[in-house]
Amino acid sequence: MSEITYLDAIRRALDEEMERDAAVFLMGQDVAQFGGAFRASKGLFEKYGRLRVINTPLCESGAVGAALGAALAGQRPVVEMQFADFVSCAHNQIVNNVAKTYYRWEQPVPMVLRLPFGGGVGAGPFHSQSPEAWFAHTPGLAVVAPSTARDALGLLKSAIRDPNPVIFMEHRFLYRREKDVLPPGDLTEPLGRARVVRQGTDVTALSWSWTLHECLAAADTLAAEGVSVEVVDLRTLSPLDEETVFASAKKTGKIAVVHEATATAGYGAELVARLADLCFEHLDGPIKRVCYADRPSPYAKKLEQSLMPGRERVVDALRRLARY
Amino acid sequence: MASTTTEHPLASVPAPALRRAHFFMRLSRAWDFRFEALARSGQIGRWYSAVGNEIATVTTALALDPGDVISTVHRDLGAILATYLDPTRLAPELFVPDDVTAWDALRPHPRELLHRLAAQVLGRRDGFTRGVDRSFHYGLLKPEWGVRHVGMISHLGSMIPVAAGLALASQQQGTRAVAVGYIGEGATSQGDFHEAMNLAGVMKLPMVLVVENNQYAFSTPLSEQYACEKISDRAAGYGVAGVTVDGGDFAATWAAATAAVKRAREGHGATLFEVTLPRMRGHAEGDGSYDLIPPAEKERFLAMDPLARFEREMTEAGLVDAARVEAVTAVTRAIVEEALAAGMASPEPEMREATRPVFAPGEVADAFARQHAEARS
Repeated sequence: MSEITYLDAIRRALDEEMERDAAVFLMGQDVAQFGGAFRASKGLFEKYGRLRVINTPLCESGAVGAALGAALAGQRPVVEMQFADFVSCAHNQIVNNVAKTYYRWEQPVPMVLRLPFGGGVGAGPFHSQSPEAWFAHTPGLAVVAPSTARDALGLLKSAIRDPNPVIFMEHRFLYRREKDVLPPGDLTEPLGRARVVRQGTDVTALSWSWTLHECLAAADTLAAEGVSVEVVDLRTLSPLDEETVFASAKKTGKIAVVHEATATAGYGAELVARLADLCFEHLDGPIKRVCYADRPSPYAKKLEQSLMPGRERVVDALRRLARY
Repeated sequence: MASTTTEHPLASVPAPALRRAHFFMRLSRAWDFRFEALARSGQIGRWYSAVGNEIATVTTALALDPGDVISTVHRDLGAILATYLDPTRLAPELFVPDDVTAWDALRPHPRELLHRLAAQVLGRRDGFTRGVDRSFHYGLLKPEWGVRHVGMISHLGSMIPVAAGLALASQQQGTRAVAVGYIGEGATSQGDFHEAMNLAGVMKLPMVLVVENNQYAFSTPLSEQYACEKISDRAAGYGVAGVTVDGGDFAATWAAATAAVKRAREGHGATLFEVTLPRMRGHAEGDGSYDLIPPAEKERFLAMDPLARFEREMTEAGLVDAARVEAVTAVTRAIVEEALAAGMASPEPEMREATRPVFAPGEVADAFARQHAEARS
C-alpha cells in the first residue's frame, strides 16, 4: 500500500496498460523524454521506447486523425492534449471522424483522449476551460471525469480497455492535491457507473471532478446546520448512470447540479432535463445549477475565483434548496 | 513499324500487370458510365465520376502488396476495385494462368464483393454499411484477404492524418505495410494536409499521398486554390519526396508509383505523389460545375482521356489489338450490369439500422443501453 497522487495514478494506469497490452501507446506534445507538460508520462519513454511514447509536432487535429488511423490498424492509442483547451483544434476529427466510425461502418475505435482541464490556478482564458459538454453532445463518445486518485487509475485503465473512444477529463487542480492510498494489483473501475460518495436524506448534489470536492466540503458545512446532503460523483458523464442519479433524486427530491463548466448548455442542463422528464413526480423543489458564470476565465486569480462554483456557492444553493 | 519495338515505355511494365490494369481501368470506366446514366435519369441521387482518374488510381493500387492499406475519397473506384478483386476469377476469359497472383489466392470470390459494392453505392441493405452511410463512405478491413481499405468522411482533408496513422501503425507493428492515401487537390488547402504531411516527414512514415489534381475542386480552378507551381513543390517543406506525374502517361505513373511504394516500404519515408489529370466530368453529375469549364478547355480535357491514350499506346506498342480492347470493354460492361442488377435487387435498408449501436460491445455500450435515451426521443 502506498499513497499516490491523482497524477501518479494516471501514470500508473498508463504504465500498467502499456505493460499489459503491446498495442497501447501514448502520443502527444512533449510526452516522451520530457514526460508531458504535467509529467504524467514521466519515465514511460525510457521504459517503452520511441514507438510507444511518441512526441508529436505541435498539432492536435493531425495527432487525433493519426490516432484514428492507428486504431483502425489494431493499435490502442492514448492521445494527450497538452491542455484541454487545445482540443478544439482537433474538434472535427473527434466529432466527425472518430465518433461516427462505429455507427457508420461498425469498426471499433479504441482510443482515449486525455484532457488536462479546469481552472482555479489563474491560468487565463485558454488554459482553464471545462469542455466536457462539447463531447457529451456527440453520439459515439464516452466522457469520463474522475475526482479521486483511485478513480483516475481505475477509470483510465477501463477507458484504455474499452473498444470505444473515451474523452478522459483529468483535473489539473487535482493532479498533485488529490491523493489515495492504493494497494498494488489491477484496480479497474467500471465505466458508466456513478458513485454515491456521501449518503444523505435532505438534498442531493450531483457533481464530478474538482467540484465534487467542493460539494463534499459544502456537505460538511451543512451537516453542522442539520441538513443532510447526499453527494453523487457521476464519474462517467456520458453514457449517464441514470439508475444511480435517479435513485438519489427519488430519495431526497431536491437536486443541485454542480459543475465547473459554464452554465448555459453545460452538461448540467442535460441532467436537469432528464430529471425533469423522468423524475418529475419525485421532485420537491426546483433543480438548481451551480456552475461557472457564462464568461471566459479571467487571468487574475481573484477575478477567476469570483466566477468559480466554489463551496460557498454550493452551500448557498443547497441551503436554499433544503428549505423547500 | 520502328515504334513497335520492345523499347516502348509500356514494354517495361510486366505483361500481367498491364492486363490487370487495363481490366480494372475499363471496369472502373464501365461502372462510372452506368452510374452516371443512373444519376442523369434520377435513379440515384448523386454520382461522383472517376472518369479520367483511372491511371492514377489503378497504377497506385496495383503497386501494393497484400496487407497494405488504402484510404480513398470520391474518385477512387479504380483503387478499390484493384484492391478488392481477383480479376482472374471474375473474367477468366481475359487472363492466363500466369496472371494469378499470391494475393488473388487470399481474396474471396469477386462477384459477391461487387454485388455488395453496388448495393453500398445504392444505399441498400446488402451494402457494406447496410444503408447507414452512402457511396464510398465506408471501410473494409479484411486482413485475412490482404484487403485493408478505409473510406472517407466528407471533410476530405481529414482523411490525410488517418492515412498517416495507418502508416504509423505499420511502423509500430513492424509489418512494412505501406499506407496509400488518395485525395484531391482541393483538400490540400486544408490544415489537416499540412499537419499530416509534417507528421509523415518528421516520423518518416511509410506513406504515399496520391493527390489527384483534376484542375478543379467543385468549381474552384487551380489559380484560386494554390499559388505554387506544383503541389509536389511543397514536399521539400515537409522533408518528404515529391513527384508530379502526368496521369495520362501510364508507364510514367506506373514507374513513379512503384518507386514511391518501394521507397515507403524500405523505410525511406513518405512521398507526396501528385498526378495531373484532365477534368472530364463535373464535381457530381448534374450539379452544374461541369458547365463552368470553358468549351475549349473541355475539348482539350476530353482529348486527353487517359484510358483512351493507354489503349492507343498499348495498340501502338503491339501489346493489345482492337479485338482485345473490345473484349475487355464488353466483358467489364457485362460485369457492371450484373453487379448493378444485384445491387438493385437488394432491398431497402432495415429500419432497425437507424438505431443500431454507436458503441462497440463493452462497458460503455452497456452503459449506453441502460439509459432511457431511446424513450426520450
